[in-house]
Amino acid sequence: MIEIRLHGRGGQGAVTASRIIAAAAFEDGLYSQAIPMYGTERRGAPLTAYVRIDNVRVRERELVHTPDYSICFDEFISMNQTIANSMKPGGIVLANSKFKPEELPLAGDIKIACVDATGIAIKHLGRPITNTAILGAFCKLCPEVSLKGVEKAIYKYFPGRVGDMNVAAARASYEQVTDLITAKNKEPPKQVEEIVSGGYGALKDVSGWRVFEPVIDEEKCIGCKTCWIYCPEAALEWTANNKPAMISRACKGCGVCANECPVKAIEMVRVQVKK
Amino acid sequence: MVDYEVMVGNKACAVACKLARVNVAAAFPITPQTSITEYLSELYASGEMPGFEFVNCEGELPAQVIVNNAALVGARAFTCTAGPGLQYMHHPMASTAGGRCPLVMAVVHRGIKSMQPDHSDLMSQQWTGWIHLYVENAQEILDTIIMGYKIGEDARVRLPVAVGYDGYVLSYTAEPVEIPPQEMVDKFLPPYKPPRSLIYDDPEASIGRGGGFRSGDPNYAWMMHNEGALNAEEVIKEVFAEWAKLTGRKYGTGMVEEYKTEGADVVITAMGTVAGSAAAAIDKLWKDGKKVGLVKIRSFLPFPRADFQRIAKNVQAIGVFDRSLQPGMGGPSYREIKNTLYDSNVHPVVAGFVGGLSGKEVTVKNFVDLGEKTLEYAKAKKADAHPIWV
Repeated sequence: MIEIRLHGRGGQGAVTASRIIAAAAFEDGLYSQAIPMYGTERRGAPLTAYVRIDNVRVRERELVHTPDYSICFDEFISMNQTIANSMKPGGIVLANSKFKPEELPLAGDIKIACVDATGIAIKHLGRPITNTAILGAFCKLCPEVSLKGVEKAIYKYFPGRVGDMNVAAARASYEQVTDLITAKNKEPPKQVEEIVSGGYGALKDVSGWRVFEPVIDEEKCIGCKTCWIYCPEAALEWTANNKPAMISRACKGCGVCANECPVKAIEMVRVQVKK
Repeated sequence: MVDYEVMVGNKACAVACKLARVNVAAAFPITPQTSITEYLSELYASGEMPGFEFVNCEGELPAQVIVNNAALVGARAFTCTAGPGLQYMHHPMASTAGGRCPLVMAVVHRGIKSMQPDHSDLMSQQWTGWIHLYVENAQEILDTIIMGYKIGEDARVRLPVAVGYDGYVLSYTAEPVEIPPQEMVDKFLPPYKPPRSLIYDDPEASIGRGGGFRSGDPNYAWMMHNEGALNAEEVIKEVFAEWAKLTGRKYGTGMVEEYKTEGADVVITAMGTVAGSAAAAIDKLWKDGKKVGLVKIRSFLPFPRADFQRIAKNVQAIGVFDRSLQPGMGGPSYREIKNTLYDSNVHPVVAGFVGGLSGKEVTVKNFVDLGEKTLEYAKAKKADAHPIWV
């Protein structure tokens, strides 16, 4: 039996991806099971999903605790040791990252491959929904799941033109995935920074949820406060010189401010993940 | 033609409604049941279900009243809910059963104290007099919803059927499901023909449509209701045997499903989705030479008394796992099994485990431990006090 764990955020399509993998494996003549795990699900909040693939009907219905594969849909979470923890010996981690696999700070008896799924998704879908943009890469690493099966399954979930776009993303990631490398550091660090899954509010930090963040052009800004009124998270503060400023820990990068600005003084710019 | 699709539990439930040619569905959305109402709305909008009415209600109580009355006038009716929604439905549920209105309700388990699943929601409805079935996987949901109509509509039973399955870990879990052909289901489940009067055509029994009395002996409606509930056991067995013949999918006797109980020293019991993990644990235990069998309780009401009296003859101990607890009274299936064995001349050790409450995960490892503990109890001829927490 193959067990897969998926890490992502609400809105990246990790749950749909788990179902596409299950459907693809079934297309390839295997039994499968896809379990999503969410609490109060919402866009941006970290979540996990699980898939089992076997040649007999899968009966166990616990979450996957020691996966063979760990797939991460989010650039920030890809930098977190959590995705490489409690894997089976020699397990494979597929991370969404622009970096080379040896540049990721992941340790353990694991192998790592990377693909810039966010880049592929923005190119092919026009938005950072990274699920199909990582599944192609996964097919290359997992011999049990074929790209053909995944393409068939994608069309089941997204018929027509949307399906074409997603299949193109899957094919691109199949081509672009890096080679597998063995993690240099066999011993994982004792203390792992937890992925913040808590909600928003005064004390919570959601800065890791952003794929894009607002950059304000103070020259263009007329100080009308429209952005400040519309921000759903009260993540804009008003400065002394009558201009808005982003509160980094509170902004989820939804883009409402940029959309509402009457003079287009706010631009959403892709966040650069630091090593 | 037999069709396959990888689908989530809630979709399997909606597909079953379509195959059973349900006429009226009324429901109020509540997590984790919501997507059933979404799939049903889609089926309604696409026109795939001719003669189907879907009522989006303002709450669970009116939903139950609508399906109750729909069944009363001869429609095949369906509703679905979860946790607190089921509790809000409590009041009209008793008159659905009392009025002998056969319909099927999917109860997507959500604990009465949390969003996450345990069996406390459906367990709290025992007194409403419905038939309670518990299922393990998406295929079983589809099969059991269809069979539920055949069981409930049988003249010997005439009772509503609740099909319980765990929220999240089954309702949202995708897995391959075999969709039986419509012609086969039509043959198995002919259109519902209500009796001239749903209430027994007995002039002596002047019973109101909710099962209350108007004149004559007030006990009479309860006597008839009790008879129907007891008859359900033989009907369940017949219907499951017929379905097994048609589809090749056999769920034990319909009342219980045994797994590797032959030659076992002890057995453990489980209900619903956790039975899957329990089965995986049984494989591991046998591999280690530990002879532990599994009895999956499929029908809680009526309780499989005859099956447990038979099983008890061959084992030294029964480890009962309950995913619900009545504080101060214990786990429901533990109590029923002890109650059942009082009437038999064999008395194996019965150990009552409780776990998985408010969505706590129940793992394969938990069931391996549970099986080993039950073996120890068999050796010691004595179990720890109930409840033994998992």
